[in-house]
Amino acid sequence: MNAHLEISNLVKKFGGLTATNNMSFDVARGESVGLIGPNGAGKTTVFSLIMGEHRQNSGSISFDGTELTTLPTHQRINRGISRTYQVPRPFSEMDVRGNIRVGLMPNSIWQMLTKRYDPDRELELALSVGFAESDLDKAPSELSMGDLRKLELARTLATNPEMILLDEVFAGLTVGEIAQITDLLQQKREAGMSMVIVSHDLRSLQPLIDRAVAITYGSVVAEGKYDDVIADEAVRSAYLGL
Amino acid sequence: MISKPLLRSLIIWAIFIIGMLLLPKIFALLGFSKGNLRTLIQACYLAIFAMSWDFISGRTGYISFGHPFLVGIGAYTTAILSYRFDVPVMYSIPIAVIVTMIGGTLFFLPALRIKGSYFALVTLAFMELMYQLVQVIRPDLTGGTRGISGIETLTRGAVNGYYLAVSLMLVIAFVLWAILKTRIGTALSAIAMNEESVKGSGLSTTKLKLFAFMVSACVAGIGGAFLAHYNGSIAPRALFDINFLFTIIVAALIGGSSTIIGPMIGAFFLTLLLEKLRPWLPGAERYFVYGGIALLLYMYQPKGLYAIFWQVVDRFRTRRGGQS
Repeated sequence: MNAHLEISNLVKKFGGLTATNNMSFDVARGESVGLIGPNGAGKTTVFSLIMGEHRQNSGSISFDGTELTTLPTHQRINRGISRTYQVPRPFSEMDVRGNIRVGLMPNSIWQMLTKRYDPDRELELALSVGFAESDLDKAPSELSMGDLRKLELARTLATNPEMILLDEVFAGLTVGEIAQITDLLQQKREAGMSMVIVSHDLRSLQPLIDRAVAITYGSVVAEGKYDDVIADEAVRSAYLGL
Repeated sequence: MISKPLLRSLIIWAIFIIGMLLLPKIFALLGFSKGNLRTLIQACYLAIFAMSWDFISGRTGYISFGHPFLVGIGAYTTAILSYRFDVPVMYSIPIAVIVTMIGGTLFFLPALRIKGSYFALVTLAFMELMYQLVQVIRPDLTGGTRGISGIETLTRGAVNGYYLAVSLMLVIAFVLWAILKTRIGTALSAIAMNEESVKGSGLSTTKLKLFAFMVSACVAGIGGAFLAHYNGSIAPRALFDINFLFTIIVAALIGGSSTIIGPMIGAFFLTLLLEKLRPWLPGAERYFVYGGIALLLYMYQPKGLYAIFWQVVDRFRTRRGGQS
């Protein structure tokens, strides 16, 4: 298998705490992987390491064969990998359109100065995640948690990623909103986008993934088909304390 | 086709420009002295510095306490080149602006690692360092504590001086406004709101901040250089003064930060206020009064005088709408 994203022997320590402990897994092009594990297992830390928000102590992260370790976050995004956050981080004084606009910006001062905004693309992205046209002028303070997640997703999709890392994408959403986001992510999967999804909502996660990777205490304890991973002794022990 | 908000902005600009250009005529008609015009010239330069400060601090949220450092580089470079080395002003001013932009790069380096109050303190240290350096290092060039006087002036008379200063201010304001109307303006504002999310949107915040610092330094350099040639003299105590620094910041905040017109309104309001208070309060007590007014304004409307103006306009419109 030619790995799209390859994580090898990743170690990250925060003082005396080892958040990722010799972790290795990979994701093939077009594959959707569910990253599961109890609270504090190190799922979000792995995302932060992949995106360059934290620097690992050792180990490597490569994307399409390119080592990402030395690259800053924006360069990783420009190579085609992007993420959402567990707690949405909108631009508080910009409306929905403005937030999406930032995601659509080219990383070039010259192009920023000379290229015009693309309101049609902004609208298309907003509609694709389930916003109505009338929502475009709303400020983040007027949005529900579900809408904030949609906004985060729209801004992330605006960067045109080949692979998307979704952190607790269903948290705080209503049943209807979960269905809406699931439909969108299924469309993206069918279009060939690779995904790594972190979610505690395993029922919503299951139909979206090809494979699951279970981690606890920063290490991979099981990986494979979702049903096999869930049935794994070590996973049940980590989740249920059995 | 021009959009409605853009048309409104252009109309405001046109009225503002015409008003500023007609001001000397209005002053003459009202029988004001040339001293009043000189006050307006100082207000124009303060507006340039306030716009320069606001381009970094109002937009990106990196509060600079060292802007006189940049103004000082521009002023000293052109003064030394033209006065000591007889370099023609048409060369000394552009060189001064370039040197200021290099100084802006130095200024920028701390912003790569620190933000918030730490950044503000480091920039304050830059100003203090510059104050000490010009007094100690090569006083034969900088004039030491006394500064340099007898610098070539560019205009004769208050009216010409006013037209030069106001043209400079309006051109700078228009260029900054045009820059901020592009995606750059949105990206710089986004940095102030959430720098991590800007990085997470695939943008290099280093590149954006460097651009903002370069533009700000360029404007400060132009303002500093032209001010030196207007006054005909420079003195370190006046340039690197904490009151000068706070006047720049308060002008931007009082008028309306993160706008272009706000710092200009603030600069004119402050300069005229300080000048009108002079007969009654000739000393530093005046700063208490303007500090008090600034405090009241922040409490009532933190977005400044420009926002108050639009509040009044909206209230007037609502009332008219209600009547009809």
